[in-house]
Amino acid sequence: MDLLFLFFISSGLFLGWSLGASDASNIFGTAIATRMIRFNTAALIASIFLIIGAVHAGAGGAETLGQLGSINTLPGAFMSALAAAIAICWSVKVSMPVSTSQAVVGAIIGWNFYAGKPTDYSVLTKIVGTWIFCPILAGIASIILYRIIQYCCKKSNTHLIRRDQYTRIGLVIAGAFGAYALGANNIANVMGVFVPSSPLKELLLPFGIVLNKAQVLFLLGAIAISIGIFTYSQRVIKTIGNGIMKMSPLMAFVVVISQALVLFLFSSQALFNFLSSHNLPTIPLVPVSSTQAVVGAVIGIGIAKGGNDINWNILGKIVLSWIIAPLLSALICYISLFFLQNVFNLVVYK
Amino acid sequence: MFHINVSLLSKTKALEANIDQFHDKLIDISLSFSKAIKTYLKEGRSHDFEKYSKQVKNIEHEADTLRRDIEKRLYSYNLLPDLRADVLKLVENLDKVINKFEEVTYMFFAQKPDIPDEYRGYFKELGKLSAGCAESMCKASRAYFRDLTTMRDYAQKVYFLEHESDTCSRNLTEEIFASPRSLAEKMQLRQFIDGIADIADEAEDFIDQLLIFAIKRDI
Repeated sequence: MDLLFLFFISSGLFLGWSLGASDASNIFGTAIATRMIRFNTAALIASIFLIIGAVHAGAGGAETLGQLGSINTLPGAFMSALAAAIAICWSVKVSMPVSTSQAVVGAIIGWNFYAGKPTDYSVLTKIVGTWIFCPILAGIASIILYRIIQYCCKKSNTHLIRRDQYTRIGLVIAGAFGAYALGANNIANVMGVFVPSSPLKELLLPFGIVLNKAQVLFLLGAIAISIGIFTYSQRVIKTIGNGIMKMSPLMAFVVVISQALVLFLFSSQALFNFLSSHNLPTIPLVPVSSTQAVVGAVIGIGIAKGGNDINWNILGKIVLSWIIAPLLSALICYISLFFLQNVFNLVVYK
Repeated sequence: MFHINVSLLSKTKALEANIDQFHDKLIDISLSFSKAIKTYLKEGRSHDFEKYSKQVKNIEHEADTLRRDIEKRLYSYNLLPDLRADVLKLVENLDKVINKFEEVTYMFFAQKPDIPDEYRGYFKELGKLSAGCAESMCKASRAYFRDLTTMRDYAQKVYFLEHESDTCSRNLTEEIFASPRSLAEKMQLRQFIDGIADIADEAEDFIDQLLIFAIKRDI
């Protein structure tokens, strides 16, 4: 059973690896491209904080994905994760920023259709709403932060070299926060579909730390993401560093902080509880795309700088890929489940 | 991690200090140059002139050492990775102005030109304008590292002084060439006028570049 389980979650781990390879660039890409932080330092910090975030605060997003469609067999979960990973590979091939969340949501809906299970449209609306809301929120956050930092720089008259050093420290802290938020928010994309069918048991760690079965799964997924960061993200970072609009280290800091804030808002159980206990409108705990947040934050800075630097054609293509990616993922999942069930005689739903 | 940050901050402070000292050298050399020119115009190649001339040479030598140190620190500690090339270019161009001061002072020392009385006032004015231009350039360059608004104020002052120095050098050249002196004498005097006016021209070129770098430095 264990070996079979490992085989089935391999697609999730592959998805995690590809998330690490592509999304780590959202956290430390600009910092590495501007040579403010060395790759190995960045990869180590990102891995540590991503694992902490995934294990400590990954449950919220997974729960929402579970509400959208509870994939109740391992072969079904295997194929959903694989379909999402293929959709991401396609996005990478056409050089569009990848959204893991959208690919996973598309795959779950594909499974729902195949299994004849109803899709909870209120949850779907909530998730799709965040796809629009997340980049807008990141954009607003980056405009506000950019203005604040610009004002502080003008007022403080800090020496350029000292400012550079503070930026470097800020980038490390922002990157660590970004990695924590990415782990907390996006682990559900990687391992969320396996939670209902996971046979794993609780794990006792040193110092009396107990991980429940979902957290063990998240730990495995987070390790896969970390491997993705170490083994492949350097390539993506190089492409991003040379390809996207030229940014100063301080702008990079604003982008990372804005992105991390948005990811944190969409994954913080504590904030959710606080808002609901005070009868305030809550922010849903949904896995959002760090890529979408980064794109939103970069556009926010572009607007703050007068809007002349924004390439609206590329932006249009990116938005189009955000529509195509989940549809493609759903389609691949639907077709593959058919093969899995009828060619390999595996039970893909109960 | 704490140790790394503390050690990086101390390196940052050392580099900051080096850059400040380099700017101090520029102010020093400009003041010594002014004194040397004034003394030469008053006393010729006197003992005092030789003292100021030696001072200028020493300052230029110290500035060279500081420039090398700044370059080494910027590269070996990976400081200012995105603006490093700009800062190095600025330091090199400041050094060019320092070298120009030394070159002109040495020309007076070696050639011992005979400056006719009627042109001494012009030479004094030209020296003052060029030194003032270099001082404002130095203040603009210092402000580039801290306060861009102040930098623009000093940049404007450099443009004004350079224009004044151009006018002064043209008037002086025209007067010299209208006089009944020998061509060799005229050519030598023009060489000195050009040498002094070049200091202001270098300062203007520096400011042109500084304003472009300032756009890149703005966040």
